[in-house]
Amino acid sequence: MKALLACSLLLCLPLAMLAQQKRKVFPYDYAMDDLPNGLRLITVPTDYPNLVALYIVVAAGSRNEVEPGKSGYAHLFEHMMFRGSKNFTPEERDAILKRAGASSNAYTTDDRTVYHEVFSKDDLEKIMELEADRFLRLQYSPEVYKTETGAVLGEYNKNSSNPIFKLYETLRATAFRRHTYAHTTMGFLEDIKDMPNQYDYSIQFYKRYYRPEYTTIILVGDVTHDRALELTRRYFGDWQRGDYRPEIPSEPPQDRPRTAHVDWPAQTLPLVAIAFRGPAYADDRKDKAALDLLAPIAFGENSDLYQKLVLREQKADLLEVEFDNKIDPELFTVYARVKNPQDVEYVRDEILKTFARFTRELVDQKRLDATRSHLRYGFALAMDSSEAIASALAPFVALRRTPETINRLYALYDQITPEDIRETAARYFTEKNRTIVTLAARPDATRKEGGR
Amino acid sequence: MRRNFTALVLLCALFGPAMVFGQTKMKDGQIATVLLPNRSPLVTFRILFNTGAAFDPPGKEGLASLTAAMIAKGGTRTRSYEEIVEAMYPLATSFEWQVDKEMTVFYGTTHLDNLERYYALIREMLLDPGFREEDFKRLKADAINFLKINLRQSNDEELGKEHLYNVIYADHPYGHHNMGRVSALEKLSLDDVRDFYRRNYTQANLVIGLAGGYPPAFVSKMASDFAKLPLGERTTVRFATPKLEPGTHIEIIRRPTRSTAISIGFPIAVKRGDPDWPALALVASYFGQHRSSNSYLYQRIRELRGLNYGDYAYIEYFPRGMFQFTPDPNLARQQQIFQIWIRPVEPQNAHFTLRLALYEFDKLLRDGLTRESFEATREFLTKYVDVLTQTQDAQLGYALDSRYYRIPDFATYVREQLKRLTLEDVNRAIRKHLRNDSLRIVIVTEDADALRAAIVGNRPSPITYTSPKPREILEEDKAIEKYPINVKPEHVRVVPVERVFE
Repeated sequence: MKALLACSLLLCLPLAMLAQQKRKVFPYDYAMDDLPNGLRLITVPTDYPNLVALYIVVAAGSRNEVEPGKSGYAHLFEHMMFRGSKNFTPEERDAILKRAGASSNAYTTDDRTVYHEVFSKDDLEKIMELEADRFLRLQYSPEVYKTETGAVLGEYNKNSSNPIFKLYETLRATAFRRHTYAHTTMGFLEDIKDMPNQYDYSIQFYKRYYRPEYTTIILVGDVTHDRALELTRRYFGDWQRGDYRPEIPSEPPQDRPRTAHVDWPAQTLPLVAIAFRGPAYADDRKDKAALDLLAPIAFGENSDLYQKLVLREQKADLLEVEFDNKIDPELFTVYARVKNPQDVEYVRDEILKTFARFTRELVDQKRLDATRSHLRYGFALAMDSSEAIASALAPFVALRRTPETINRLYALYDQITPEDIRETAARYFTEKNRTIVTLAARPDATRKEGGR
Repeated sequence: MRRNFTALVLLCALFGPAMVFGQTKMKDGQIATVLLPNRSPLVTFRILFNTGAAFDPPGKEGLASLTAAMIAKGGTRTRSYEEIVEAMYPLATSFEWQVDKEMTVFYGTTHLDNLERYYALIREMLLDPGFREEDFKRLKADAINFLKINLRQSNDEELGKEHLYNVIYADHPYGHHNMGRVSALEKLSLDDVRDFYRRNYTQANLVIGLAGGYPPAFVSKMASDFAKLPLGERTTVRFATPKLEPGTHIEIIRRPTRSTAISIGFPIAVKRGDPDWPALALVASYFGQHRSSNSYLYQRIRELRGLNYGDYAYIEYFPRGMFQFTPDPNLARQQQIFQIWIRPVEPQNAHFTLRLALYEFDKLLRDGLTRESFEATREFLTKYVDVLTQTQDAQLGYALDSRYYRIPDFATYVREQLKRLTLEDVNRAIRKHLRNDSLRIVIVTEDADALRAAIVGNRPSPITYTSPKPREILEEDKAIEKYPINVKPEHVRVVPVERVFE
């Protein structure tokens, strides 16, 4: 049951031998334990003193919102988890976290919901008890539920003043028609407005997904493996396994290119998003890894396109590529903000030409090697505290439930050739796989704003 | 290089941060340093100049920021910016800049493997900047678009928070956004940038901050490289606490938006290192700890009433708070404000929420903290200081700020001061420094005229909820919906958004 991993053995070896071991991008000694109920614990002791980072990863996010009219519940649920449990009122919970000097919060994405705290090591047991109570015995009244839906609407409102949020929302709804990636993690606005009426559904969401088999506990910092395991067994051992498996609708192949346009009511610079349907996360197949490497080569700050559009011609002031690791096939998206509305088509066409270019041309081997170095050092540089290590692990743990997937992914990067990249680009960057969304200020935006 | 990299990462796992932290003020010629040597395989630079937006010449607001951007995001005399990006790419690092009123800092972290390569680049960027026309054109446009689009049109909360500073510091060297004013930026020239660099990037203004596993000789090498800068003279400007016209003033920024953002503040004559700073830090944490449900205001506005996403209070400048949980270091200032940040509410609830925030603030001034709240907040801050300083970069940043404020290491300072603090100190500090008779309030909303009329007329603002509320809340609401906001009509102005930061 206890899988103490190879990495720990390395620590016993003389240093001279270390270099001969296969390189691991996640270098920390860790232990992985599975409880009989399906809960998994990953412990990473570090030498950063005093603090412990606790990340509880639930492998359910807005992807799991399969019923029509019920988008946004994974995120709403993240809010409800702070509203009291059987043995701790929200006030008692806050008081305990306050005494622990804790920084405590949570976030939700398409594929996961992550509850995270960093706090003084002396308070570990109390916080494990507190956390277990809400995961095993959450309790909230319909009144408290309705109040919290107001906070969620407030969150939507604060995001909605940003045109990039609207562009993203429209892109998802245009590129996906059946899969739940069609809505953002916030959910559709009409569903958010209906949330106050859906107390029972919120309870059902909890019963489905807040189960040990969906959950992994990550403990990083000034903590021993024995202590972490003992506390996890003590407080989470009674958690009952569930049996719900959602049927996530798969997105049918796209048969023609799609476009959409957003009229923005205020002044803004025009935005363009160009997306192609890409692959899902994989640490055992080359397609995702090949496109991961291509993303910075084709569209990163160091790319020919960025240097042309942003630095030399200065037609765009923002050019970014996004291609997240997702459970299901995800979009490979390039965003640009264009300085002059007259240049929107030019910028769009330059981006399209770049996509097309890499379906034909091989990437330069030196550039590819530099990109591997870039990704590897980037990952290492990000892990500069116990909290940062836990935070870096969480997305991968949601996908494959083990830190080893990181090492497998980076080993895969080492195997990718320029031919792999060209072949993968040609397979995914096809016209019928494409969605383009633009956003621009409505013609009356200026007048409306300045006129009164 | 790869072999070396693996060994070093594993060394980190083995020996990790058995860090020996100390703050050393080393004189090497004129150059001050703050050093945190340890055995980490990462090396962090924070190269700080004691200059910033408060030193923008009148009519040239934005020059300090544009100069810093030209250094960190522009080419050198011998390399174009494209070449710098290319050189940094395999190192997976960058060189960033931040300009505040009195501090300009350049920072970045590199793996020890790449220390020499990285340092060679940033040395050239800082000491031999190219000030090229094409970079100037791009970075000036970026600065203007930041103010015109990112702030005015994309983020109501930051717009309101930043405008609040401009209102409080009108006619003061702090009185413009760190990025400048749109109309002034449009007129800046490359010669202005060269001139600002020559006058302000001096040895006297420089503090080299360095942390990590750098070799011992590295510091003296850096000091001798930076001796190339002109000597200059130490800045001795004293910035006064602004004297506000008595009475509360409200500015309502009008822009098309779904919701209403509110910021409230006033200047305080207390900065880190002053005798009452620990007491006020404790008050701000109790009343509105940043992004935490552990605070009074958040409980009353969000948790009990569900009116918005969060409600916080501050005694130090904390920009970009919607994107981060802990503040960036190196925003040290002689002058600070007390600030309340009410996150966006539904427009129909704006008047009520403003009253609620003022009602709670008045209660804080009247009643102070209880012993229980005091003890709990003290314990929180005593431990939370470890969270604030958990990365090497944060430790270095705080160490530089401690040098500025003339206090010991930040964690030690906070713990020792809190240990001595009493409830009486805290409640006395509230009475002495916090006030409710001359507030400055900034609101961002679409129907500004209607909100203005409601505020000026002191019209009742009844609230309805989607869920039943406890009787004591409904009783309290009855008082709040008529709670007077003491403001003269001529002190409530509507400002079109395009005039902000202009």
